[in-house]
Amino acid sequence: MRDVYVAGIGITTFTRLEYPLVEIASYASMMALKDAGVTEVDQIYVANMGAPRVNHQTALASAVADSLSLLPAGAAAIENGPASGAAAIKAGFQAVASGMDDVVLVTGVERMREVNNLEATDFVATLTHPLTEYIYGVTLPAHAAMFARLYMEKYGVTERHLAMVGVKNQNAALNNVWAHLQQGITLEGILDSPEAMTNNPYVAEPLRFFDACPVSDGGAAIILVSKEKAQELGRPMIRLSGLGQATDTHAVFEREEPTDLLAVRKAAKDAYEMSGLSPEEIDVAELHDAFTILEIAESEEVGFFPKGEGHIALEKGETALGGKIPINVGGGLKGRGHPVGATGVAQAWEIVTQLRGDGEKRQVEGAKTGLTLNFGGFGNNVVCLTFVRED
Amino acid sequence: MAREIYAYKCRLCGTMHYPFRMLCKGCKQNDFFEFDTVPLPKTGKLLTFTTVYNLPAQYEVATLGLGIVELENGMRMLGQLEIEEPEIGMAVKGSVEVVRKETYDDYYGMVFTAA
Ligand SMILES: [Zn+2]
Repeated sequence: MRDVYVAGIGITTFTRLEYPLVEIASYASMMALKDAGVTEVDQIYVANMGAPRVNHQTALASAVADSLSLLPAGAAAIENGPASGAAAIKAGFQAVASGMDDVVLVTGVERMREVNNLEATDFVATLTHPLTEYIYGVTLPAHAAMFARLYMEKYGVTERHLAMVGVKNQNAALNNVWAHLQQGITLEGILDSPEAMTNNPYVAEPLRFFDACPVSDGGAAIILVSKEKAQELGRPMIRLSGLGQATDTHAVFEREEPTDLLAVRKAAKDAYEMSGLSPEEIDVAELHDAFTILEIAESEEVGFFPKGEGHIALEKGETALGGKIPINVGGGLKGRGHPVGATGVAQAWEIVTQLRGDGEKRQVEGAKTGLTLNFGGFGNNVVCLTFVRED
Repeated sequence: MAREIYAYKCRLCGTMHYPFRMLCKGCKQNDFFEFDTVPLPKTGKLLTFTTVYNLPAQYEVATLGLGIVELENGMRMLGQLEIEEPEIGMAVKGSVEVVRKETYDDYYGMVFTAA
């Protein structure tokens, strides 16, 4: 297997975007191509979840290839729910590692704001088990809420801990010009003040409005290349060093221990093994905080903290910028936004930015290693990636 | 006759499934849909729950109670709750009712109340 490097990255602002889906994908891709200094690619993978349903467009990768004048490169779209982004990176990795391709463009994109919020929520809910979950009206916020309640009962996590994740990540987004939410929040405003229940109502008890990520449009792209190509292009040598992917039961209620996220655990274990890294050696991480409870649970399952102690580490500031393992310093899904298909690629974008030392106000000092965790379904399809800076 | 929701029991190895699997998760040998249907029990205890406020358009109610129930045979299922103040561990009993209405179809599922 050949080593695989990230030679270029690009991103659009995550917000409500009044541009066609293909243009959003193309804009992020153009930035990545320019950053890498390439005008031709062998292969294109486009990560996207909703184009056929939300944007009435199929065969998205063909459209992106043509829009970018990258013909006759191979192109295919990858739909893997909220883990589409990292799954597309995996496909790109395999293409380069196998020796089939030298330069691969991976673009993630979503334009969810073309429909209203309830339709967007319903569209995401279609990833649940059709006969035993979806028909009951289960949404992703409902799944996260039932999971959060169990976590509270078992480990002593409180609504305050959840709010602390929200405050940390939404305020971190203020240091990221591409992030969707550009408004600072405080525990006082969303939890303690008399107006808190109005500012921050329940969406699915015990989760409130500020426990969930916003519905966003946006695109992110990276260029994966062989070692020879990376050396020739002369960008900082950031190696995609580890990769793991795992699945779990479709129906969440079937899991033996419902507070375990076994697919997260397995994906991370495989990524560590492949890269030869341990959790203690990771300098900066991007976890999939679509809901605040997930950042706490994932920080345990990827091995940063023992099970049930993620919220304690959070309290101590260990997951904030300057802490032991800074998590979601660019805002995470909560602050940056969550254009579903783009998220896994945007996480890689942030880690590469960090390892290049380009994080400016949110830079984790001296970061040489990074990890991303892209959480699909409600934990039934998870991809973990590790990145290493080589000098 | 009261409506039922069924689990699927593998005729080869006896493993129970809910939801249904095309291949048995126990023996992985069952290639020919050799499953017997077994009605799920209607009583159990509440494992976790939520009240949802932002509902899909088909629901003409302000809030929806949802929960995961551990049934008396140890299997679990998700259902709607019609319980004023749900609590983890409380005893519940279910009945099969319409849980989702769409233009041409009604979908049936389990609705739990306090036992
Ligand atoms: Zn069997």
